[in-house]
Amino acid sequence: MKKFNGFLMMVLIVFLVAAPIIAQGANETTNKEIVLDFWHHYSAESAENKTLTEVLIPEFEKENPGIKVNAVSHEWAELHDKVLISASSSSLPDVARCDIAWLPEFEKMGILVPLDSEMNDFEEVSKGLLDSAMSTAIINDHYYGLALNTNSKILFYNTKMLKDAGVEVPNTMEEWEKTVKKLSGKNVKGQQVWGWNEPGLSAWNICPFIWSFGGALTNPEQTKASGYINSPETVKAVNTFASLYKEGALTGFNSGDIPMTDGFGTGRYAMMLEGPWKIAELAGAYPNVKYQTAPIPAGEGGSISVLGGEDIAMFNNANKDAAWKFMKFMTSDFAEVEMSKCGQIPVNKKALENPVVVEASFAPYLEAIKTAKARPTVASASKIDNELVVAMHEILDGEKTAQKAMDDLAVKVDALLAK
Amino acid sequence: MINSKKSIITRYILLIIFSLIAIFPMIYMLSTSLKPNGALYEFPPKFFPDKNELTLENYKYILNESKFMRNFFNSIYVSVIAVIISSIVSTGLAFVIGRFKNKFTKIIFSCLIVTMVIPGTTLIVPQFEMAVKFKIINSLSGLIPFYIAWVIPFSTFMIKGFMENIPNSIIDAAEIDGASIFQVFYKIAVPLAVPAIASVSIFNFLSSWEEFPWANTVINDTKLRTLPIAITGFFGQHQFTQWGYVFALSVLSLIPVVVIFISFQKFFISGLASGGVKG
Amino acid sequence: MQIKNNSSKFQLGALMAPGLLIFALFTIYPIFRLLIASFHDWTLASMVKQPFVGWNNYKTVFSDKTFWISFENSIVYALVTVPGQMFLGLLVAILIDGIRKISVGFRVLNYLPVITSWVIVSLIFKYIFNTEGLLNYFLFNILHITSKNVRWLDFRWSGLWVAMFLGIWKGVGWNMVVFLAALQQVPKVLYEAAELDGCKSIRKFFAITLPSIKGSVLFAWVMLTIGAFNVYTSIKLITNGAPAHKTETLLTWMYYKAFSTGEFGYSAALSFIMALTLCFLAIIQFKIMKKKDE
Repeated sequence: MKKFNGFLMMVLIVFLVAAPIIAQGANETTNKEIVLDFWHHYSAESAENKTLTEVLIPEFEKENPGIKVNAVSHEWAELHDKVLISASSSSLPDVARCDIAWLPEFEKMGILVPLDSEMNDFEEVSKGLLDSAMSTAIINDHYYGLALNTNSKILFYNTKMLKDAGVEVPNTMEEWEKTVKKLSGKNVKGQQVWGWNEPGLSAWNICPFIWSFGGALTNPEQTKASGYINSPETVKAVNTFASLYKEGALTGFNSGDIPMTDGFGTGRYAMMLEGPWKIAELAGAYPNVKYQTAPIPAGEGGSISVLGGEDIAMFNNANKDAAWKFMKFMTSDFAEVEMSKCGQIPVNKKALENPVVVEASFAPYLEAIKTAKARPTVASASKIDNELVVAMHEILDGEKTAQKAMDDLAVKVDALLAK
Repeated sequence: MINSKKSIITRYILLIIFSLIAIFPMIYMLSTSLKPNGALYEFPPKFFPDKNELTLENYKYILNESKFMRNFFNSIYVSVIAVIISSIVSTGLAFVIGRFKNKFTKIIFSCLIVTMVIPGTTLIVPQFEMAVKFKIINSLSGLIPFYIAWVIPFSTFMIKGFMENIPNSIIDAAEIDGASIFQVFYKIAVPLAVPAIASVSIFNFLSSWEEFPWANTVINDTKLRTLPIAITGFFGQHQFTQWGYVFALSVLSLIPVVVIFISFQKFFISGLASGGVKG
Repeated sequence: MQIKNNSSKFQLGALMAPGLLIFALFTIYPIFRLLIASFHDWTLASMVKQPFVGWNNYKTVFSDKTFWISFENSIVYALVTVPGQMFLGLLVAILIDGIRKISVGFRVLNYLPVITSWVIVSLIFKYIFNTEGLLNYFLFNILHITSKNVRWLDFRWSGLWVAMFLGIWKGVGWNMVVFLAALQQVPKVLYEAAELDGCKSIRKFFAITLPSIKGSVLFAWVMLTIGAFNVYTSIKLITNGAPAHKTETLLTWMYYKAFSTGEFGYSAALSFIMALTLCFLAIIQFKIMKKKDE
């Protein structure tokens, strides 16, 4: 009897640990429903996520009984890392909304499905989407995603702050530098204010300046960085940025800084470069701030902003039919129009003609998109980004001169591009 | 110690200062959770919300969203099971090591002590590989075995002391009465070691309840997230942190902890005390 | 000690087995796997094929500037927070030991930080130490001690200081409990005898109190040192290694290398170096413990 009790105890323990594991496994095979895992980086509390979960997914599930969509929101940088981690553990989702900059990297890892080869109606579907946007999904002659959104950043400025400081919105980079300085200082409450907010130091943030000043990150073939990332124009751009920071005229990328939207909404940042999603954000959190938009000031290289956007891609462990249906749905004019209400610029040609979209006045962004440049479309894009951030910090902290930092960076990026 | 009136008053004053410092951040968190999200960058920042600012909107939001209830449940599920299993296995282990000293048990004990020095998170890479192999990634069950393994050394260490202190006379008496080892274990040893087991269980519950790095790595689905991940989940983009929600959820997640602590207060104290004195 | 027959042996085995099994599988095996992995080129991209590379990973780790920064940060963190907590914890314990009323209340209040999760307290501190946060408001706008808002979270040493301050604040209560118990074990007779000899308070403290609670002091010292190197959540949430990885500690840097850049081999080597360092430290501490006993 006594032996029995001990034995029972062990059985109980084994059961307690094993049961949930077994239950989970069983669950996956006996369910007739297909569950699609869809990862994205719409902020959990954002209007986009609300639209996704309350309008789009229910509509899709209604049209496709038997398919359930499990949407998971990750923060932007985390989504990238999670895909990497999941790739190694074979726990990738079916579909993900990826930053266009990530596709080359994911393709190199061999985890994306070449849609043009495997999906019969690919041609038809892609014809309904903007060519320029679809071009972000071609790698080595195959398409690895459907364009979902396109965007770019333009200048936002606080009209009251500019008026009070007696300045006009800058049209050239030279004016921009002066204006930023003039707008900085102390406000009536004695708080510090900055003429410019830049929330980060990666390519997404620094490239508009580099390009508008006439510089570049790499040569057009994207094989070399030396001579481009440390060219006089690039160095001038970076140097201008750094000296404005040191004078206290711009900030936003430090851990303790006021977040961009909060700062702009409360009149602490006078100007910033942002995309169409900002309008909905500001309307929701800071409806009283008065602002206008303008193109990014033109420098030696022109008025060049950075091309952004997201593609929706399928991973090769996916339930392909169901996943493709979802992808077609998300790029359909219905879904695109709904998302446009949250500031997501559609790439669906039919959606772009929809009165709702037309009214949303994406015109300034579409203008900017025409001249915007894309960040490096190489597999090592993320690593290049990391190195750029480190280099920027070295300059901003005064550790190296801009020239030296960019020279050192050029060596590193050359190595990364060579892989 | 000479307890003059002056020195007693000094003591009280100092203690009040220390206690205020100890709870100040918590009070600030509570007060911030009662402010609307838009007021968070107000100037001047107020420690307590104004009467007209006071709001429960953050709590309403949290309590209405079903996913947070889910997160609560996930944390409870993981912590309770981890604690139950780890208590059982550690007690058994401690009993044998504590009362049957031979070369074998000594080696085992040394192993336990040595690994106590190594933080659980250090082993995250091979543990990740294991979780992948066993296909327990992205599941709550994937958290549990690791949480148990991490606390076994310390729990065994703490309970072993108690086991050692059981008077031999009691055990010998039972032996003479013909008790088997199992009987000695659960009729004598366990009841006597209850204070140690209880305090160790409480610590283990807390560490599972608040564990962050491993859960953050393994869990992907929103539905499976534990509370710590849910709390940090509000830190979306660089541009937007809704501190009101963060703190409201934090306050709510602290409630079970505080309740457990106040109810089992004496176990906390006695457990640490015995461990400390033994050294 | 009991008679050992076969049935007894089985029962002993049954009592030990589950614990040992879980421990061996989820702790011992990973340690060996870690050691082996550290000698291979293991990246996220090549989870299956891992070429043997000998000491390469270790060489990379040791020549990595950021590794040394994180090592330095961890050591500083330990050197500051461990004595800091112990000193303050002992102080509070002594204060409580000498009063009669409300001692339970004080104990509970001071212990509250200990039971609050790291995630929560890190976020609270992050909010308080924000450049536009409450602390700067007091220092700058009210007390006018500083010339402008201090950017606590933006730089290496100030950022580390916030984390260390948090670490000390959170640990005082734990130390208080440990030392309180020890203090209450010291025989009152010793104090009375000393008083008769005309001993002053300070002398009593050093001659009687400290030696008597030696066991607890060393226990706390070892546990806290282990805890200090375990710091992850607070750094990750307060500074996230910024700026440019200057506030990384060994664990956060190891995690970054593993899961953000996918260099598992590097990370494994680093983990092993860390484990060895800690074992080494623990052995030294144990040796000192033994010496003092003699």
